[in-house]
Amino acid sequence: MSADPAVRTEDLGMVYPGGVRALAGVDLEVREGEFLAILGLSGSGKSTLLRCINRLIDPTEGRVWIFGEEITAASGGALRRLRRQVAMIFQQFNLVRRQTVLTNVLSGALGRSRLLPSLVLSFAQSERERAVASLGRVGLDDRAGSRADTLSGGQQQRVAVARALMQEPRLILADEPVASLDPALRHSVMRHIEALNREEGLTVICSLHDIDLVERYATRLVALRDGKVAWGGRPEEFDRDTFREIYGEEAEPASNSGF
Amino acid sequence: MGNGREITPGVVAWRKNLSRLQAVGIDAALITMLILMGELLVVAFSGRRGDTGLLLSAEQILDLLHYAWALFAGLGLALVWNLFYRFLGASPGRALVSGVPEWERDLEWTHTLRGWFVAVFIELTFFAGWLITELQLVTFLTKFGKAADIVRGLMHPSASVLHEGLVLLVQTIFLAFMATAFAIPVAFVLAFPSARNLTRGSAVARLAYIVSRTLMNFVRAVEPLVWALIFITWVGIGPFAGVLALWVHSVAALTKLYSEQIESIDTGPMDAITATGASTLQVLRYGVVPQVIPPFLSFTIYRWDINVRMSTIIGFVGGGGIGYILKPRVDLGEWGEVGTLVLLIAGTVWMMDIISAKIRERIV
Repeated sequence: MSADPAVRTEDLGMVYPGGVRALAGVDLEVREGEFLAILGLSGSGKSTLLRCINRLIDPTEGRVWIFGEEITAASGGALRRLRRQVAMIFQQFNLVRRQTVLTNVLSGALGRSRLLPSLVLSFAQSERERAVASLGRVGLDDRAGSRADTLSGGQQQRVAVARALMQEPRLILADEPVASLDPALRHSVMRHIEALNREEGLTVICSLHDIDLVERYATRLVALRDGKVAWGGRPEEFDRDTFREIYGEEAEPASNSGF
Repeated sequence: MGNGREITPGVVAWRKNLSRLQAVGIDAALITMLILMGELLVVAFSGRRGDTGLLLSAEQILDLLHYAWALFAGLGLALVWNLFYRFLGASPGRALVSGVPEWERDLEWTHTLRGWFVAVFIELTFFAGWLITELQLVTFLTKFGKAADIVRGLMHPSASVLHEGLVLLVQTIFLAFMATAFAIPVAFVLAFPSARNLTRGSAVARLAYIVSRTLMNFVRAVEPLVWALIFITWVGIGPFAGVLALWVHSVAALTKLYSEQIESIDTGPMDAITATGASTLQVLRYGVVPQVIPPFLSFTIYRWDINVRMSTIIGFVGGGGIGYILKPRVDLGEWGEVGTLVLLIAGTVWMMDIISAKIRERIV
């Protein structure tokens, strides 16, 4: 393991065209192997922060380093090479609905695939085996040939986890990975993400709005409010009073039973 | 970073002035049109006669109008309305560009100047349109006799042209098919630079968008009939010229339909593929193409259907197909034979319509 932190941001800020400020002066350092949860109300900047880290959104201020390399200064091939180390899991799964589960998982390998074969959906046999193995880890190898949109929400998110695994990343960004799922299915997906963190030693940055999930899975917590870091520390130190202090009397911490 | 990407107060002020200018421009255009239509009606009903002693025709009246004065007055009134919008209420242009202020939103249209303006504008458009296109209800209802010959002929199709008609019908369908088939790959490639959501990334992409959109709009604006005349002088009379004419028009039409489909895709999968470190082409192949293939197929079949209809007209000027033998029979007044050919075309179009609707139902 290198001494560089997995992610470091310096004075990160984002103003959307139209003038809405989503992030302001975020300084963050995530060490390799951490499971960092990001907590915050809707619109507090969680998604924007995650998307600025792999530059799905270009931040308007500040800088971001991934494993010691500045991604905000990279472009073209260098940017894609950095992105390969960072897998992302989305709230809406973002699978290609009309393609098979296997092709969706294989698309995780696009960053290291040769361009022309990949354009005709042709992958090396070793990659196919790896994709089936990734599906096996989330318990869906029997659905490899199904079209992605025939799967349930929980299964689709597990396919997305397999796609992330296929990418062989060092860092996983998960943007509210279980917010669109039935509460009963949340742990099935969270446990797979936890396994990547514990067993593979991958760094995980995961936005959540459920305190119980944070306490159960995260090793560290950062709470955002109005695009700024309002609190940071160990999840068990973050109690309901702290929650109200940060988010106001109106806000009620979400629990496992619902929102 | 932050190299000039922030929105400075200067930019905000500039945008505000630009939208004010747009509002005044739209208002000036609308008010000018209103004044001109008003003048047209006044002149038309004044009973003025031309040099020949007859009532003025629509063209003569259009020639008489005071365009410069109307524009001048329109600009002035638009400026006044936009300056005093607090008292007069938002002008139509202002409402379009910056929206209607809160307090005006719940008002009935009869309580706003803008409402009355729009109502009068629509009324005047109908009256002016009636005069300009010289609608004559009486003639329409009383002079049917002359056309009856044609209708009688159409009702008694003659079999003499049936054989030739069927042969050329086959040519027509294939002509439309070839034009559509050749249009697919070109339109497919052009659709990506023509989609707004894919071309925000860089200056090059934005330029590609503007170039391809402008080009396609121009090509689409030129009637297939004109393209046919161009290609007939290029490759000679015959079905090949028809294929080329319909091909050019289909490329433009399909590019527009395809690119609009691309603009309405779910961007989630694109984000996911981008995040894997994939290159732009891979993002298009995996994140965009699978989403747009079924609607593309549907549009393409629909286009084939349209091309069969259009090839008849193309044939009129020498572009091959069944239209080619229809034209001389219309000129000679062989209404029985025309009737046969029209029935053949109508039958084909009807069948194509049903088949393409069925296929499209299946795909989407």
